[in-house]
Amino acid sequence: MNNKPLCLVVDDSRVIRRVAMDIISSLGLRTAEAEHGLAAVEFCGTTVPDFVLLDWNMPEMDGITCLRSLRAMDLNPRPIVVMCTTENGLAKIREALEAGADEYIMKPYDRDVLLDKLVQVGLVERA
Amino acid sequence: MDDLLQEFLAETTESLAVLDVELVRFERETSDVTILSNIFRLMHTIKGTCGFLGLPRLGAVAHAGENILGKFRDGELDVTPRAVTLILKAIDRIRTLLAEMESTGAEPAGSDAELIAEIDALAGGEAPVHEPDAAPVEDHAPSFGDGGFPVAAELLAEVAEAIIQQSDIPSPAAKPEPVPAAPAAVPAPESASPAPQSETKEPATTASSIRVNVDVIENLMTLISELVLTRNQLMQTQRVQKDNEFKVPLQRLSHITSDLQDGVTRMRMQPIGNAWNKLPRIVRDLAVATGKKIELSMQGAETELDRQVLEMIKDPLTHMVRNSADHGIEDGARRLAAGKPETGTIALNAYHESGHIFIRIADDGRGLDVERIRQKAIANGLATEAAIAGMNEQQILQFIFRPGFSTAEKVTSVSGRGVGMDVVRTNIERIGGTIELNSVAGRGTTFLIKIPLTLAIVSALIVEAAGQRFAIPQLNVVELVGVSNHSEVRIETINTSPVLRLRDRLLPLVSLRGALGLEASGTGHDRFVVVAQMGAHTFGIIVDRVFDTEEIVVKPVAPILRGTRFYVGNTILGDGSVIMILDPSGLSGAAGQIESADAESSQDRRASSDGLGGDQASFLLFRTGGGELKAIPLELVSRIESLEAATIENVGGRHVVQYRNHLVPLVPFDPAHHWKDDGRQDTLVFSDNGRSMGLVVDEVVDIVRDRMAIELSSARPGLLGSAIIAGKAVDVVDIGHFLTQAFTDWFEVVAQHKSLRHALLVDDSPFFRNLVTPLLASDNWKVATATDGVEALKLREDGRQFDVIISDIEMPNMDGLALAGAIRNDPRWGEVPLIALSSHAGDDDIQAGHEAGFDEYVAKSDQMHLPENLARALRQVAARGQNRAELRRAS
Repeated sequence: MNNKPLCLVVDDSRVIRRVAMDIISSLGLRTAEAEHGLAAVEFCGTTVPDFVLLDWNMPEMDGITCLRSLRAMDLNPRPIVVMCTTENGLAKIREALEAGADEYIMKPYDRDVLLDKLVQVGLVERA
Repeated sequence: MDDLLQEFLAETTESLAVLDVELVRFERETSDVTILSNIFRLMHTIKGTCGFLGLPRLGAVAHAGENILGKFRDGELDVTPRAVTLILKAIDRIRTLLAEMESTGAEPAGSDAELIAEIDALAGGEAPVHEPDAAPVEDHAPSFGDGGFPVAAELLAEVAEAIIQQSDIPSPAAKPEPVPAAPAAVPAPESASPAPQSETKEPATTASSIRVNVDVIENLMTLISELVLTRNQLMQTQRVQKDNEFKVPLQRLSHITSDLQDGVTRMRMQPIGNAWNKLPRIVRDLAVATGKKIELSMQGAETELDRQVLEMIKDPLTHMVRNSADHGIEDGARRLAAGKPETGTIALNAYHESGHIFIRIADDGRGLDVERIRQKAIANGLATEAAIAGMNEQQILQFIFRPGFSTAEKVTSVSGRGVGMDVVRTNIERIGGTIELNSVAGRGTTFLIKIPLTLAIVSALIVEAAGQRFAIPQLNVVELVGVSNHSEVRIETINTSPVLRLRDRLLPLVSLRGALGLEASGTGHDRFVVVAQMGAHTFGIIVDRVFDTEEIVVKPVAPILRGTRFYVGNTILGDGSVIMILDPSGLSGAAGQIESADAESSQDRRASSDGLGGDQASFLLFRTGGGELKAIPLELVSRIESLEAATIENVGGRHVVQYRNHLVPLVPFDPAHHWKDDGRQDTLVFSDNGRSMGLVVDEVVDIVRDRMAIELSSARPGLLGSAIIAGKAVDVVDIGHFLTQAFTDWFEVVAQHKSLRHALLVDDSPFFRNLVTPLLASDNWKVATATDGVEALKLREDGRQFDVIISDIEMPNMDGLALAGAIRNDPRWGEVPLIALSSHAGDDDIQAGHEAGFDEYVAKSDQMHLPENLARALRQVAARGQNRAELRRAS
């Protein structure tokens, strides 16, 4: 019954998590949340999400470290990771992609931007 | 949407509190990269969240702050106090904006360009960050890197709409008819339904703590209290019945209840660190402003206490730390000269001990200057030189807790004046705490605050007055004294105020019966005085009986009783009865005030009752039966109802309406009132002693506040007279007239309820007879009237007896002075107290009245205060009568 893709939203702001989760569940996907990288890694240790929306700046463990840990865990099936950042330097984007991110998204994003990304990675079909 | 904004406000406020603390830490340890990155991240998150919610103004300020922090991090900018101050300024601005958003729900208009420019200038000539232009409307293309803000409102509206569509269960917000075509990408409701809300959030990893509305916890606490009381009741029953099959499950229930109570009590607990958060920032600002070096050390920040208590001590703590930093700690040069380290220390320490929280605030400053306090106390008239000469240092130090005392040599911007240690002590004592002070010259000052863990459950003394039980918080009770007219210790009267001579000290008393307006006190009984302390004020409460102390659960007082100052709440006792908890501070105000410290306030009170201003009252203005507007004191009116004319029934020639299964008689103001068949009928409802009547009027006009001064008396029944209220001439309605129309025995019923006392009112003016009779009746007097002295003496011939006679002076046939002479010269009424009620109240008139045999003289002219003046006169003659009776017994 739970064959809908599970999206893990990782962000230290409750408000942003809520906004993101509201958008994602409005698109018919399941959501879960984690407040920082470490919590995300722990979560993935028990449940493998299909999609991770990962913030960059977070306490405990930042996004890039989290991403590297997730990739090192060699999860199966391999989750799609989209890094969020407000830092739009090319270097940052390259760093994220090199660490194994599938896509990146600029904050602040809105519903259409997120939808675009989800379509791009094939989780949602554009109707 | 509001919900999300609320969440944002909460989250950001938390972040700001952390930022304050971290920044102060960072300033001291500029090399600590962890602190800096934490600060940077918090600021960054605030900025990011603003972007999501479309809050450009807030976002711009956060961005400017983040910008400097970024430069700190990258080593492009040195960490200077000025830079930190600027960042703190940005935080303050964000906080101000948040506060405004909290009240208005939207980002306030205005510009922070100046602050941002200042910050950017510091950041090194960096191009100022432009406030973003109007949000990019309708531009749904991914807006990478342009720094713009999405149309968050639009986004959220869409999301909300989508959620409503998706949800199976119609939420209250859902529109009844199907939502218009959803955005293309939103799946149809059918396909979405298998993923209900709860399931989507199920695998959350952050569930180790959740946010719960305070009201929910308060409510839970109330329910638990009920449960505890019910448990106690059951256990009581069980004890009586010895063994039965309920014993074991009851014990289990008891244990579970106790655990539950503990659990919920813990839920209300918060670490005291929450109240300390602001302090590092305050001390830091102060140190910068005064050029001192101050170290703030905090221990036991994790000590938990009830959130209600926490709220109450927040301000006193802040004030004391401020005091220490401003006045206690010397400047660096002076410290070095005194052989102390240059940096002063303020140490906060909190810990639990024997059911209390102790908070110690210690500084290693100069200590309190006993000599200055001594001089100041004398200068401010707080004590005489002679009195102070006999005091030890510790006693002199206590003067700083007295109102109107401030040791600050100069008024600084920091401590200022106005709020003093007296307020600190009052606040702490209000929550049942105590504060101790210890100071050594040159070594520093230490305050020790002791406060109870929780206010929800307190120990209380259960007492009885007039057959009703009350609880007095044990914290305020000093001792109990048994008094009777025969014992050594007894209640005396000074200036109509009862006092108790206790160990060579006069203790002002308040009678619980008197204060609460219960049945008048029986005099001969043995009674008890509960000696209570409220701040510096010790006073006695006269009660009939004292039971024992009980742990009680304090429930807030009902809104309807909030206006009274005598109650703090109510509680349910183990036997299930509901009783009121008395507020000692309210009662202390009612106790006659003898102490010099309080003399001022009682003088104030006299001034206000004598002054021209007088007390204002609210009046209800209405129109009926033609003529002037009618007025009635609002406090007499229980409700204003607009009745459906159809619901008014005619029973046996009287109009009634059904209200909560009772018939309420309706009396029209205008006897010729035309009863409508349809439409609505304005009615003023009056209630007393469980009975109600409705006064039918044409139209309720207004409620105004003004003084009442009846200018012209009225001969018309139902009217007391005319007055000017709010600049309009109005007729003042005599509600007593209509009450007796509705229930001929209205006042008799009142009187039967209480002990009957008889008064004779002699006055030729029907206006005054109508005014005074209800006054007396409401004070449980049964009133007979006579129009002049001759008529009064006829009643004596009839063998009637009265407890008091109130007489006008100027009357036809036989005036008041002649009447008084006739009364005093005949044994039948010879001893009856006489009160003169006259419009002439010059000294000569009063002298003449006393010579004729009147005991008291009340002026008619001051109508506003007639009730209390009359009541005072009645109390005085009663007290005198009591003394006379005692004298007779003694002789």
